[in-house]
Amino acid sequence: METQEALWKVSQQTPDPQLAVEVIALTREYTTRSFFGTVSRVTRALDGIDLSVKTGELFGLIGPNGAGKTTTVKILTTLLTQTSGEAYILGLDVRKDLYEIRRRIGIVFGGERGLYNRVSAIDNLRYFSDLYGVDPVVARDRIPQLLKAVGLADRADERVEKYSRGMKQRLHIAKALVHDPELLVLDEPTIGLDPGGARDIRNMIREMQKQGKTILLTTHYMFEAEELCQRVAVISKGKIVALDTPSALKKLVRDISVIELRTYGVTGDYVEAIKRLPNVVRVIADLDSEVQTIRIQSPLGADLLSQVTSALPSDAKIIDRTIKEPTLEDAYLRLVEE
Amino acid sequence: MGELSELTPGKKTEGYLARRGQVLKACIVLTAKLFFADPQWIIPSIIAPFIFTLVAFFLFGGEASGSSFLLYLVLGSGLMGMWGTTIYGSSNSIGFDRWNGTMESTLAAPVPLSWIALGRVLFNTFEGVINALFILVIGLAWFQVGFGVVNPGLFFLASVSTFLSLSAFGLLMCTVILLSRKGGFITNSMEIPVYIATGTMFPVSILPMVALPFSFLLAPTWGIEAIRLSALPGYTGLTTSYWTDLALLAVETLAYLAMAFVLFKRVESYAKRNGTLDEY
Repeated sequence: METQEALWKVSQQTPDPQLAVEVIALTREYTTRSFFGTVSRVTRALDGIDLSVKTGELFGLIGPNGAGKTTTVKILTTLLTQTSGEAYILGLDVRKDLYEIRRRIGIVFGGERGLYNRVSAIDNLRYFSDLYGVDPVVARDRIPQLLKAVGLADRADERVEKYSRGMKQRLHIAKALVHDPELLVLDEPTIGLDPGGARDIRNMIREMQKQGKTILLTTHYMFEAEELCQRVAVISKGKIVALDTPSALKKLVRDISVIELRTYGVTGDYVEAIKRLPNVVRVIADLDSEVQTIRIQSPLGADLLSQVTSALPSDAKIIDRTIKEPTLEDAYLRLVEE
Repeated sequence: MGELSELTPGKKTEGYLARRGQVLKACIVLTAKLFFADPQWIIPSIIAPFIFTLVAFFLFGGEASGSSFLLYLVLGSGLMGMWGTTIYGSSNSIGFDRWNGTMESTLAAPVPLSWIALGRVLFNTFEGVINALFILVIGLAWFQVGFGVVNPGLFFLASVSTFLSLSAFGLLMCTVILLSRKGGFITNSMEIPVYIATGTMFPVSILPMVALPFSFLLAPTWGIEAIRLSALPGYTGLTTSYWTDLALLAVETLAYLAMAFVLFKRVESYAKRNGTLDEY
């Protein structure tokens, strides 16, 4: 009875006109069926999430792989139907007003997806401009302007397959903007890009927000969310575990300091040894590069340094060590691991 | 890098028909560009028709030299080529997006998928027309087939109608590919049975009775009949009436279109519920 009442209340929701995105108790289940059609497994990808994005805001959705980010993005962009709950984009219901929503949003998919590689950038933009119903007279001006804005004007007539990853991603941005959308959904737009390419994309994201666009950004990179987003939602196992400004989220880990080591010749055994030290909360290690980075979270801060140094094997070397304030990544790791 | 603030506002096209026309044009143009960007287009459009024509002439050409039967063969070969191109091209026209990684972008567009598919299918069928014309040219130039079409006006009308019926059939085949990732197997395996059932190379009348209902349900069967009735002197086909053939063709074409649009709507709804359409 209580559930029925709750469902009835949800169905009576009306969208808030001040919000670009409004999500209420959104749930999505995936059903796996056996060969004979019987349900063999039900996986809950989203478990009653609530979130809202204000008009003009740059909002981040962060979480580990399989947390429900892509499912949320697919529902909000009308590519997937929710199992229950409500979602409104620009005041429109994602289940009922899909074409109107699609006309008013732009989507940037991360990675190599979403472009026709055998034709030129200009052909791609013309095609999507027509699909989105941009007046052809307007498109004649707008497409070259967009290509210039994303730094592809000189190579507009080249096949996209000849583009670098960064150039393709800039073309994705141009494609998402071709119909002048009010809301942009950026699904991991910097994934796989080199630092320079990622910086270009981040600059464009800032520029788009300055132009008054509302932006929903999903990312794996915490520094990116911290640098760009006004508010961030952390999603883990289909639930929103925190939603606040990056600085407020960082306060969740103000009880710890971070020792950041740059090392040479360290192995996984050393990382395991540090993890076993008393008062070590968490260790994040990147051992793949020649110069390795190890971040140690601990309430002891600098007092832990002597133990960290003494555990170092004789054939390894600490190049540099710094005591840092915790970042959004530290807060994020605490949130998703709890 | 330029400024995003300098962009011209993205004003939209007014009017439903103008927007749909814009979508069809965009899909036809993109499909054409993708087609010519792939050097393999030479195989279905030039080499395959040439082989079709050669096979037909080696089978019947010697016996029928100088008669209108040669034109019968050329028309049949042309339609075989046209059907082959349509079935491969059309059924893959949306399936292509799956393996190209553009399915999400296509599905996210503010236009029903059926209209996007229709634009692509129209070009794919047009490829078939080029294919058929090439066969005709080979027949006329190399094998000296006389192109004495009885009624050019009716021949043109029957050819255009057959083109549209093949497009409608191609659109229907698109939904098969979308419904199942194994759909390509089904559509590809239809190529030869349809050659036989529609009477491209042999008269439908020689088929066993049990196969005739299948033939009659295929709009190209009536299209081929109408083309031959308008082109070949003294040709007697299934109904012997050009207009009856054309009417049956129109009815079946409209039925294909209606089925395709309904199926597309269902496929889109199914895909949104299951979230599997972009998987390859």
